Amino acid sequence: MLGSPHPLRVWKISRLQATLAVLLAAAGFLAATQVRNELLIRQQLRVPSQRLEELGFVLREQERARAALEQQIAALREQLRAYEQGAAQGRARLEVLSRDLERLRVLAGLVAVAGPGVVVELDDSPQPLRPGDDPNTVILHYTDLQAVVNDLWASGADAVAINGERVVVSTGLTCVGTTILCNAKRMAPPYRIVAIGNPAALQAYLSRPGGVLEALRAFGFPVKITTAPRLVVPAYRGGYRFTFARPVETPP
Amino acid sequence: MWLPVLGLLAGIVLGFLSSVEIPLGVVKYTAIAILAAIDTILGGLRAQLEDRFDLSIFLSGFFANTFFAALLTAIGDLLGVDIYLGAVIAFSIRIFGNVGFIRRDLLERYWRGAGRGPAGEPGRAP
Repeated sequence: MLGSPHPLRVWKISRLQATLAVLLAAAGFLAATQVRNELLIRQQLRVPSQRLEELGFVLREQERARAALEQQIAALREQLRAYEQGAAQGRARLEVLSRDLERLRVLAGLVAVAGPGVVVELDDSPQPLRPGDDPNTVILHYTDLQAVVNDLWASGADAVAINGERVVVSTGLTCVGTTILCNAKRMAPPYRIVAIGNPAALQAYLSRPGGVLEALRAFGFPVKITTAPRLVVPAYRGGYRFTFARPVETPP
Repeated sequence: MWLPVLGLLAGIVLGFLSSVEIPLGVVKYTAIAILAAIDTILGGLRAQLEDRFDLSIFLSGFFANTFFAALLTAIGDLLGVDIYLGAVIAFSIRIFGNVGFIRRDLLERYWRGAGRGPAGEPGRAP
């Protein structure tokens, strides 16, 4: 082999060398590519490729966990949105309802109210009864009070109370002996009727000629009517019975 | 002997200059193939030093070793056992053995050829 001049030998060696060169080139190429890839991986991921599979597993696990968590987040967001919507609707509805309720409670007389108005004070007649006189002519009857209250309502009173007893829709004035019942509560003279409304209108209507107050005065009852800028009408303390009546659905 | 060295250098330069990406799943196989290639090349070098180099043996060894190393790796992957470590160890032992032999052979040549010059280098083309 040492520098043989044989032409076949020369050709054979050169073929061998060529093959070796190609093989080594392939091996070098492979090795260099591998090294370059490894360096790239290390540079980009800062992780040797041996741990990549393990890390890939961890990554897949984490990605799955993240997907699950994202779904959870989406579900929770949806829930939260529904709750918020519901709460907003509920709040709005509740506000409307409570406003309605408050208004109805005021209208029903379940709330103490204050405002300008008039005070009508009535008392039995101080005239001494002579023998043979009808005692009915010197004592106030429930009809008198009823007439005053009716006049108050008619002249636009918002709230009326007799001796601190609120006059509501179910209030009836009745007479038991010499006492008057209002809301099933016994009352005794003097009667103090408080009404909230336009003071001037109330006073004018009550004091009109031919009105109930004029009649009472004519019979000698002490009648006093005063206006006040702020009167308080207490709340109705009784209860409402509503056993048989049912609302009728009226066609719009 | 210059042509194979040139080929190796060219391959290395090409490998570094190219932008071929080895997929992550194949990295293990290429690593073992590179190891097999190194082993075969060193074996070839040793055979050349012993003056019993044969191209067909060299080539068949190169490809068979690489193939079986890759096969072993694949089986290891299939079984979940790192069988390729066996190939790595076998190749490494052979590489070290070959390197040791080449080292001794070259040293002997150097000692013997100290008076005679570099005539003993085999495989050089005229």
